[in-house]
Amino acid sequence: MKVQSSKFKVQSYSLKFKVFKLFFVLLIFNFSLLTFHLSEANAQQVSLAISPPLLELVIKPGKSVLIAYKLENRADPLIASAKVLPFRPQGNLGNIKIEKEFEGPIRFNLDNSEIKFEQPFFMKSGDVLQLLVRIRVPEGSPEGDYYYTLLTETQPPPSVAGSSAGRAKATIGSNILITVSDSGRIDVKGKIALFDVLAKLKLKILGRVFNFFESSDKIPVVLVVGNQGNNLIKPQGSINLRGNFGEQANYQIISQNILSNSERLTLATPSAELNCQDKKPSDYCKQPVSLLLSGFFIGHYTLSANVSFGQSTPNLYASTSFIALPLKLIFGIVIALFIGLLIVKKFTKTDED
Amino acid sequence: MKNYNLKLKIVRFFFVFLTFNFSFLTLNLSQALAIEMNSSQYRIQMSNVNIGAASQLQSDNGNLLSDTLGQTAAGQFSSDGYILKAGFQYIHSIVPFSFAISNININFGEVTPGLPLTATTDLTVSFGGGGEYQVTVNELGKLKTAVGNNYINDTCCDLGCSDPGKCTETAAAVWNLNTTTGFGYKMSGEDIPTTFTTCGPTCYRPFPDTSIPEDPAIIMSSPNVTVDLSSKPKDIYHQSTMTLKLNISDIQPAGTYQTVLNFMATPSY
Repeated sequence: MKVQSSKFKVQSYSLKFKVFKLFFVLLIFNFSLLTFHLSEANAQQVSLAISPPLLELVIKPGKSVLIAYKLENRADPLIASAKVLPFRPQGNLGNIKIEKEFEGPIRFNLDNSEIKFEQPFFMKSGDVLQLLVRIRVPEGSPEGDYYYTLLTETQPPPSVAGSSAGRAKATIGSNILITVSDSGRIDVKGKIALFDVLAKLKLKILGRVFNFFESSDKIPVVLVVGNQGNNLIKPQGSINLRGNFGEQANYQIISQNILSNSERLTLATPSAELNCQDKKPSDYCKQPVSLLLSGFFIGHYTLSANVSFGQSTPNLYASTSFIALPLKLIFGIVIALFIGLLIVKKFTKTDED
Repeated sequence: MKNYNLKLKIVRFFFVFLTFNFSFLTLNLSQALAIEMNSSQYRIQMSNVNIGAASQLQSDNGNLLSDTLGQTAAGQFSSDGYILKAGFQYIHSIVPFSFAISNININFGEVTPGLPLTATTDLTVSFGGGGEYQVTVNELGKLKTAVGNNYINDTCCDLGCSDPGKCTETAAAVWNLNTTTGFGYKMSGEDIPTTFTTCGPTCYRPFPDTSIPEDPAIIMSSPNVTVDLSSKPKDIYHQSTMTLKLNISDIQPAGTYQTVLNFMATPSY
């Protein structure tokens, strides 16, 4: 009986031990699950993408169109809202200034069943929304251009108590260029506002300005096209380089929009590339240019710009020139000659002595 | 018997050890976020797309516009009454315009007088098409307390607010001294204003304040098309870092000061 009792005790002890071990394993499992599976404490991010980034519409009064924009949330969940505001061009580099209040005859609505303009909506991480924007031009709307931006702005994160902070909200835009025209005829009044080279040395001789460059320097060319009409225009054409030995090169102008009553620095391609991220960036980084010519130039060169704005529009022409001299080489030769003469003179004097 | 117990113990030890390793290696894997589940070859979309019905997609003159839904490519369609072009016409690209801020809660923590604090956030613009864009910033009022009317002024930098060489919303100036107070920022990286590159890495400028009101300041812009029209695409990601700086004087009332910064990214036209 005693033996049986001690056997029972041993079994009971063994059972307790097993239960204890099971709990121990379970605890390790839970510990590892809770401790190592914690997500990283990343800063709250926002990343939005919109497509298409630009919309051009020529439309008659009384008509409407429906455009599907794709809005994508590529970061943390967010609350956003959409609205449309007019903009006007700022400067001649393609920048814009968005107005604070809506104005103009164009009417914008969202045809989505669940989303309206200026009403917040939620987007999960990775969500892609289609914003169905209806653009309506009421009957009797005045002809001309109207420029708007579809804006999607996020709400800033909630404030953190007891900590001074700047809370950021992100706004992403997509521009809408609308030309209202009853006849479909576009008002084309373009002009070449500026066509020149940005020379470090400019000399005025007998009333003429001469641009001088060192032969190995890059030649920055600036072409600014103005639009004096009431509708946006797209310049086409090329910048042509002609040397005094008959050599030629042609650079195509990129057909960017020039909004009504504004000017724009027109880009041409292919152009030399600059690395403006260096600690000591090139002087050419300070001012944007249309074209940067690279090579070794010697002599007199003529640059001409031929610009048109589509079929049945007049061609605009402008030209400029520059003189490239191997100044560094000449300077080096002069120094070498001077040193050489000094040495020869010294040896001659020694021989005479 | 002893030998058996020892073997059992060893087996149990290995079991515990294996369980631990299994849980560590299996459960500590990085998350497979939905946002990563796409490539140029495929895309897994789980969001609800509001496809319009046929009646919704009819223009006023009865022509079907169904092919415009989800239109992302540069293209053109014409019909009686309108011509529509989506995207940049001189480039054939379907990469959308995107804008990211790495940290939208730019926290300074506890601020001590005479000890300037800095915090950073990265701004990234991606544009496969036209490439021309601008990013602007402005503050919706000064840094101020939620209760009361205490606020921290925008910085004038080391030269002080009465000096003509002070930093302004458009021009950066040196802010090195611990005695200089206020709130400002500097930019480094790609496509930043030249005032920061010419002035140097210790130069700051104040945020434009919409409550005054002041126009937003351009902090990133590129007038260059990011795609080489004649060959392969260039770098389509443009990134810069904004460093915000805050310093207060001894007489600044205690409190939690906050403001909202509005970053706006728009493509060109």
